[in-house]
Amino acid sequence: MIDATLTAFLEQGLSLHIATRDRDMRPVGARALALRVHGDGVHLTAYVAQVAAERLLGPLDASRQAAVDVGRPEDDRACQVKGIVEAVRPARDDEQALVARQWEGLRDQLSGIGIARASTARWATWPAMAVEMRVTAVFEQTPGPLAGNPFP
Amino acid sequence: MTTPLASLASCFQGLLPAQLFTCSSDGVPNAAYLSHVEYVDAEHVALSFQFFNKSRRNIAENPHAVVMVIDPDTGQGWNLTLRYVRSETEGPLFERMALRIEAIASFTNLKGVFKLRAADVYRVDAIEPAPEELGAVAEPGRRPGECGDVRVVFSARAVRDVVERASRAESLDAFMDDVLAAIDASLGFRHALLLMPTEQDGVLVTVATRGYPQNGVGAEVRYGEGIGGFVAEARQPIRLSGLVRGMLYALAMHRRASEPELVRRTRQIPVPGLDNADSQLGVPLMVRDELVGVLCLDSERPYRFHEDDKALVQVLGVCLGLALQRLQWHERAADVPAESPSAAPEAPPHTERPAETASRRPALHLTYHVEDACVLVGSDYLIRGLPATILWRLLRAHEATGRTEFTNRELRLDKSLNLPAWKDNLESRLILLRRRLQQKCPDIALVPRGRGRFGLELACPVVLAERP
Repeated sequence: MIDATLTAFLEQGLSLHIATRDRDMRPVGARALALRVHGDGVHLTAYVAQVAAERLLGPLDASRQAAVDVGRPEDDRACQVKGIVEAVRPARDDEQALVARQWEGLRDQLSGIGIARASTARWATWPAMAVEMRVTAVFEQTPGPLAGNPFP
Repeated sequence: MTTPLASLASCFQGLLPAQLFTCSSDGVPNAAYLSHVEYVDAEHVALSFQFFNKSRRNIAENPHAVVMVIDPDTGQGWNLTLRYVRSETEGPLFERMALRIEAIASFTNLKGVFKLRAADVYRVDAIEPAPEELGAVAEPGRRPGECGDVRVVFSARAVRDVVERASRAESLDAFMDDVLAAIDASLGFRHALLLMPTEQDGVLVTVATRGYPQNGVGAEVRYGEGIGGFVAEARQPIRLSGLVRGMLYALAMHRRASEPELVRRTRQIPVPGLDNADSQLGVPLMVRDELVGVLCLDSERPYRFHEDDKALVQVLGVCLGLALQRLQWHERAADVPAESPSAAPEAPPHTERPAETASRRPALHLTYHVEDACVLVGSDYLIRGLPATILWRLLRAHEATGRTEFTNRELRLDKSLNLPAWKDNLESRLILLRRRLQQKCPDIALVPRGRGRFGLELACPVVLAERP
């Protein structure tokens, strides 16, 4: 489902957002911090700051559905990963370095397009929650007429 | 809503793409980037609809959506809970959103490729700060994201300084350079250009530039082309704050589009610009409903023009427009009758080029292409339109009679030039011609002699030819 090339793209430290929906079919979303693709290429873990996860927990539990949008600010290259939520748990201490590395990668990208690092200094990163997903589909999300098509 | 929607205006500039969350009728969530969120009124926003994608299909099934936007000044993220209301395919809102998309597309030479299909209007049911995206706290005198030498640039004091300097200009010629110099000194914009309407409907011409590698005086811009052309068309200030963002977004779309590659339209004189401009501001210089000029500012910084600046920018445009028009009237009023005995030059700054020296130099071959009203020097383009016709008229008069002294008034009365009876902008055409000659053909000079008079000075013989 997710090959090595796509894994490298997803884990480089990009702009991430996670969406789910509540029982009333209302969408809910938040910024995510980092992604880790598992070795099987079918499972991944999305990390979300705990302060953001609080509004996602109920809807994630209700729907078991999630979509993660991954975008690279420097060129708007983007894709969307959809999947079934298998578990939501607190992120472990040994995962903090991965989150920090990807987060700094995003801040570097943002500063490159004019968002001063001072503007993102107070964005929450830790403690975090880990959303464990089984990937069901990957879609092209780079802006344009092909957005929404299955990822090549 | 405890947070007024209007207070989020900075979030809607598109420096960072917004994030749109939707859900299909069978409960599958979707997250997607969104290029453009537009403030409509205190309770509504509009989202750009350019492609029939999953988000759009979801909204057709389920009108609920959430959009996340970030304030580029503070870094604060906001969640807007939305409900779809309607789509607009015409009218002021649609035109405003389409204008921005077209302006960016024009800058990237992709004009016409990315069309706005509709402005989708949503009611905003709730506005909540995103707790994971807390904004920075501002230092005194600065916006939170600002650092280094980037400060609030459009202060009332700085605008006053520019206006004062513009109002002190003693001639139209001086005004053009003084305004750009004052904008550099007081507002810190090192790259700027001034456009004025030409005698041709829907066409502007570059009359002064500052800070660009290429001079570019004489470059023409059609209404709707680039930031200057869009400002002229819209007659309102246009900011492209996240220009690189918009360009990247447009280019990303272009790479994915199946449209045939566009052929870059060649111009005879390239419009000056920065290769790495990250933000642009275009200001219409208006006097009542008349467009008298357009001021364009470029910055390499991505976010240089803020929402708060808008009112002062408009004031600047009005003041500069009035000053420009006052000088145009003043110089027109300074016309002296051609046969007036008081027509003698007033202490002319005359540096007559010795005729003997000139005659020993190789001749300059100039060709006037009648159909295009265009003058070439050798095979190099010099100028077109009314300034070209004026130049040709002067050179022909010199060839026939040896005359070197002329008046604005005689040009104004010359029916062959087809000048409009009112608001002919002759003085600005002469300035443009003089500057273009200085730049591209310094052997021919138009030298001001005082009130409504000028001399034609030739540093070498000229050979004139006409082509149909």
